[in-house]
Amino acid sequence: MTKIAADKPGTFALLNGDEAVARGALETAVKVAAAYPGTPSTEILEAIAEVAKQFGIYAEWSINEIVAAEVAVGASMTGVRAIVCMKHVGLNVAADAVMTLAYTGVEGGLVIVVCDDPALHSSQNEQDTRFFAVHSKLPLLDAGSPQEALDMARYAYELSEKLHLPVILRLTTRVAHGKARVKLGALEKIIRRPDFDKNGSKWVMVPSNAIRQHRVLEKRLSEAKLDAETSQFNSLEDNGSEIGIVGSGVGYCYARSVLDTKKFSWLKLGFVHPFPAEMVKAFASKVKKLIVIEELRPYLEENIQRLKLDVTGKAELGLEEIGELTPDRVREAFAKLGLTDKPEAPQQVDLPPRPPALCPGCPHRAFYYALNMVNQSVQCDSDKCVGCDICEYICSFEKEGIFNPLKSRIRAVRIKVINNTAITCKACINAPCVAACPEDALIQSKQTGTVTVDEDKCKGCGWCIESCQYGALTLHPVTHKPLICDTCGGDPKCIPLCPESALSLKGRSDDKIVTGDIGCYTLGVLPPVKAVQSCLCMGAGISQAAGMYHAGVKDKVFSVIGDSTFFHGGMPGLLNIAYNKANVCVVVMDNSVVAMTGHQPTPGSGKTVMGANTKIIQIADIAKAVGIEKVVTVDPYDLEATIAALREITNYDGPSVLISKRPCPLLTEKGPKRQVKDTCNACGVCTKAFGCPAITQTGAHAEIDTTLCNGCGVCETVCPFGAVGRKEK
Amino acid sequence: MKLDVVFSGVGGQGVVVLSDIYCEAAMLEGFDVAKAEIHGMAQRGGSIVAFARIGNKVESPLIETGKADAVVGFEILETARALPMLKKNGTVIVNMKLIQPSCLPSGVKPKTKDQLISLLKAKALVHEVDGMGIAEKLGNMLVVNTVLLGALSALPEIPLKVESFQQAIAGRLKEKYINLNLKAFQLGRESVLKS
Repeated sequence: MTKIAADKPGTFALLNGDEAVARGALETAVKVAAAYPGTPSTEILEAIAEVAKQFGIYAEWSINEIVAAEVAVGASMTGVRAIVCMKHVGLNVAADAVMTLAYTGVEGGLVIVVCDDPALHSSQNEQDTRFFAVHSKLPLLDAGSPQEALDMARYAYELSEKLHLPVILRLTTRVAHGKARVKLGALEKIIRRPDFDKNGSKWVMVPSNAIRQHRVLEKRLSEAKLDAETSQFNSLEDNGSEIGIVGSGVGYCYARSVLDTKKFSWLKLGFVHPFPAEMVKAFASKVKKLIVIEELRPYLEENIQRLKLDVTGKAELGLEEIGELTPDRVREAFAKLGLTDKPEAPQQVDLPPRPPALCPGCPHRAFYYALNMVNQSVQCDSDKCVGCDICEYICSFEKEGIFNPLKSRIRAVRIKVINNTAITCKACINAPCVAACPEDALIQSKQTGTVTVDEDKCKGCGWCIESCQYGALTLHPVTHKPLICDTCGGDPKCIPLCPESALSLKGRSDDKIVTGDIGCYTLGVLPPVKAVQSCLCMGAGISQAAGMYHAGVKDKVFSVIGDSTFFHGGMPGLLNIAYNKANVCVVVMDNSVVAMTGHQPTPGSGKTVMGANTKIIQIADIAKAVGIEKVVTVDPYDLEATIAALREITNYDGPSVLISKRPCPLLTEKGPKRQVKDTCNACGVCTKAFGCPAITQTGAHAEIDTTLCNGCGVCETVCPFGAVGRKEK
Repeated sequence: MKLDVVFSGVGGQGVVVLSDIYCEAAMLEGFDVAKAEIHGMAQRGGSIVAFARIGNKVESPLIETGKADAVVGFEILETARALPMLKKNGTVIVNMKLIQPSCLPSGVKPKTKDQLISLLKAKALVHEVDGMGIAEKLGNMLVVNTVLLGALSALPEIPLKVESFQQAIAGRLKEKYINLNLKAFQLGRESVLKS
């Protein structure tokens, strides 16, 4: 039995804020729980789901937050208690439902738990949910500790059913992911039969009903204000001091830990919306100076200013709205007012950082590597090219040691008046020159697409030249073997020396446009991968890519998105590119799990959070069903096949989906460990281009840390010198 | 009474579980506890720090800079990174395992084991623990963290009884792993008591 299920009221358990909320929900006999995983809120539903069967609860991972909210609303409409949990940005997704839910109100108690993430430990913004409560006119409880989270969850149901309103319970990262000794309450036995009143007009938000319900909401909110004024979560500690400190959340806890509490009077606010104005006025009348301490935006401060009270707030304390409060920052703030000692100056220790990175064995890394390697060729912008020939001289000097344009692998073409350009090998898919060679003397690299000549086999017949539709090949004037650009191994010498900057290497990572999304694969933005260039919100990448295409971007735009993010917010965007015909390749990084938040199941994993088997929903089927004609699935560990698929899709015109499918390696059996052989010449490809955290290179050879190696074996393919092999036992 | 310990390591080493067991041991003796964790974004290989505070009444889960009584380091570089949290003449328990970070920004040189250890010794009383060696002897590399818990339990500043640690370990782990971990705990404890 897990610790949140213990039927031992009055005993203590070590719980984090999320688990405490889950316990509160159990204690008040919640019947339906729905959520979408999101740090730091994920553990609430996980904790509930673990004991759901035992308590007769239905729990689900919904596909996104608005769906979760609607499921919880439906349950509440039948009179049972429900909970829906999300991170702060999840509330934006659920907002459409929640804003109008404030009008309809609820039947069974409904608590919306929202976890804010000050300092963005794992988020894309620092929005403050207290202002959403103002916006939606819903009551909000702001927990400052796991104990409060439990107590507030219990109280929230009482309040929700009294007011017939959903109640927002707000946690912040330090509460949600902080653990503390929490006193358990009694497990209530409430049995309700689900019963929906089909005749109630309050659920039908057509204008005439909605305006009536808006009036009802205002009335309920003024009732809520009375509750806030007398709430057990708004507590006053009068120590007869001239200085009064008012605060909420962890900021208040930090203030108490850095100050001598007896020297000040204290007002702790937990029920913060509607704002308990009378209580604050009464507190203010007892003290000469009122100081507000709160994280993120000055919500309490602005409310107090509205009461025409003098208040010392963020500006005087030198506290920003940005980032989270810490005991150090709070001490510094109070030291500024002369109320405590300054914090210790942190000693600077000069240490190498440990940059975040995809885990060893991560299939995303393998995919990104393939994406970075694909289809490189030198291209010329004819708008810039003046036909000066300099590239030909550079190429011949680089390759043949002589300035002789006849020996160049790039050819300037001057069609006077019309245009100038330079032409070289385009690294075609299934290059026709290779097929045309009767001697099999041309070989095309499956990774880079580069065509090389086996000069022993070549007889100089010139069929390859005939077959090249670009006219990019010529025969060497002396040897009569074809001259084919090899991109100088990925670093063409002609490009930097072109005086008009007309040349560029197409197909490199820093050349492709790749929009990103939210999940582990967002780490593809970091070096050495550096493949991803955007991250806005769940599902945004697909439509951002479409917008770029419609704006006139000519190259194929890639959009990478994880499987769970795709189910969450990517499907409408995919349908949209199929309908509006955007030349976008959507890459779904399918590891069949929500990896980043701790491996929750997805519609593609065949399991529900309750452990039941369910239909496995295939992303390829969805893609085809919404009208995408080009759908390809690859195993990213197979670099050659992945690169071949990418090269093919790069040249495909129209919306396409590439599914890079491989389960998260943290959930599968490890492969055989790899080791570096003595033949390693420290070229750095494995550390500088591939970047697996298990591989480091501090000495003459690269080294693989076998405690970290996951045995994926991709480094074996990546190493150009065959210097990685299986570890001998 | 108030005691602040920082646990520091690399994702996947068991920093969170170990700091939980330590707090549970303190709760068994009636102490109030609060803890906080900072995770890197990736699941494996990122820096991870947990703060564990025990006392008669603990108001905040975070520890102030320069106020921690002890640092328990699962990995040498991350132990050094936690040093600014430690008070003057505080104690460090360090597992003698160095995991060099990959993908360092250009121009940043990695530090050697010796350089890092001398950094630690300049500031703190250091107990070097051969966690990997002890775990290898016990035949299971996963018990390194329990070895470190044993080492922590042996510090004179830790006010908790051995039995409380043992009970907390037994309460947290699966039946079949309990004895193995109790052995690991004992060997870790002895490694500090002997030194």
